[in-house]
Amino acid sequence: MPGRDTSWGRASELEDLSGRVAIAGVGESIHTPASGRDALEIAASAVEAALADAGLGIADVDGLMCSGHMEGQLDERAFREHFAFDGPLWTSRQGGGMVWAGTAPVQAARALASGEAHVIVNAFSVAWATQRRKGEGDPGMFHAAEQFKANLELPFGWFPQPVYFATIARRHMHEYGTTPEQLGAIAVSCRRHANRHPGAVMRDKPLTLDDYLAQPMLVDPLRLSDCCLISDGGAAYVMTTPERARDLARPPVLVAGVGEGLSDAGTYWSQQGDFTATPQVFSAPGAFAMAGVRPDDVDVLTLYDPFTIVALMQIEDMGFCEKGEGGAFVAGGRLDYDGGGLPYNTHGGLLSHAYVLGIAHVVEVVRQLRGEASAQVPDCQVGVYGGYTGHMASTLVLTRDA
Amino acid sequence: MSGALPDTDFAPTREFWAAAARGQLAIPRCAACERYVWYPRDVCPGCGSRDMPWVVVSGRGRLFAWALVERALFAPFADSVPYVTGLVALREDPAVRIVTRIVDCDPGDLEIDMPVEVVFRDLAFPGDDRRVPAPFFRP
Repeated sequence: MPGRDTSWGRASELEDLSGRVAIAGVGESIHTPASGRDALEIAASAVEAALADAGLGIADVDGLMCSGHMEGQLDERAFREHFAFDGPLWTSRQGGGMVWAGTAPVQAARALASGEAHVIVNAFSVAWATQRRKGEGDPGMFHAAEQFKANLELPFGWFPQPVYFATIARRHMHEYGTTPEQLGAIAVSCRRHANRHPGAVMRDKPLTLDDYLAQPMLVDPLRLSDCCLISDGGAAYVMTTPERARDLARPPVLVAGVGEGLSDAGTYWSQQGDFTATPQVFSAPGAFAMAGVRPDDVDVLTLYDPFTIVALMQIEDMGFCEKGEGGAFVAGGRLDYDGGGLPYNTHGGLLSHAYVLGIAHVVEVVRQLRGEASAQVPDCQVGVYGGYTGHMASTLVLTRDA
Repeated sequence: MSGALPDTDFAPTREFWAAAARGQLAIPRCAACERYVWYPRDVCPGCGSRDMPWVVVSGRGRLFAWALVERALFAPFADSVPYVTGLVALREDPAVRIVTRIVDCDPGDLEIDMPVEVVFRDLAFPGDDRRVPAPFFRP
């Protein structure tokens, strides 16, 4: 990126795994407001759906990936107990949602190549809506417990996440002239997609740009619709070799490229070296190079979108437009599946589909490439998921099997 | 969580709060390479030195960015909304951004990069009798 300081982070070195992993099945739980369900039963229902999609059963599974960063996930013990599973099981905690929804294929490729596993399920779920209702925690908990945030940020009311990203949005507006209408355009495109998606939490709630602009500020310059949902739900996907996948129930989707980027400032948003950028600056180029594609080749994009501004920054940082031109790029329905621009979060994203921290974004890309999405992009050949978790970003390039 | 007061005994930030109690703004600076190091850490990211004494700084800087919190999303601030919180880039080194409150102003008059200066106010939250002096900023 000429002229921009890139001294604040770096790309992870990843081996070339293009063509080594296929996604053979995808599945989701139902997505709901507070439901009383726990994260384990949610994840288990998503795993069952993903295996059924692939034409496989629990007995075919010999690999399991879940998050090493969240409580209550479907780990080996929970998996064995829930499914009365006693076979051999390769496991990795470098999976789940968030950035790992994009980088799980890295570990999976090694296990598939070594023969340690042949059918690997990656699952992730949350029950944040239920937990929040019960007073058992919320997405701000991690940050509130961090000592430097607790001692240098919380005392000044710079917390929780909507405050971080409102501050970033303000600076982005100053540096690049980004407008509320442009942020709102992202929320409106996501909602339009959710309105078409049978499983979306906001399925029946339309949102126009006028509706958006009429909302009071939550944390100025962000309104409620700039912020993600809090819901209960989960999703899973099944990975195997492309050869094996071709014999299964669904057309395989191939992992063509993976990237990962890191910021040196850790999860301290206040101290990010480039305050209005994400580590997609470091992640996306490697993933596109591994896949042999350019941003122009991408037919559908899904991004981890806790806030509209996070989507806008990633679109810029991944090279879909020049830095600072994201506002014009997203305006006027150009992110709609049929808007003539770049079809984006065609399931509705964290803003309007469900708060599943990115794993449903991967499910959506797979559905698009198989031609079965509810807001289907015609002739979809190349799909990308961009993950973003604090100081990390990931990029997953998926393609249709040739 | 009943309040949002800092733990003034937490070693890595203890001097920040001790300085505030004296009406001073202090930041660690590497004795070897003279770089300001924020947030505090054990090893200077510039030169690897472990000698980073806290030094008193001017208390002047520029308003890097801010948010106007209209609805309380964090219980201790329920009685404080609307309030302005944000980041001040320090005059001595603009790469050092202090998280703070912006006070004594109409939020509508705030501008990015405007000069601001430190002013010390007590932090106090409902349900907690303690008061802790803290560096706020004003235009």
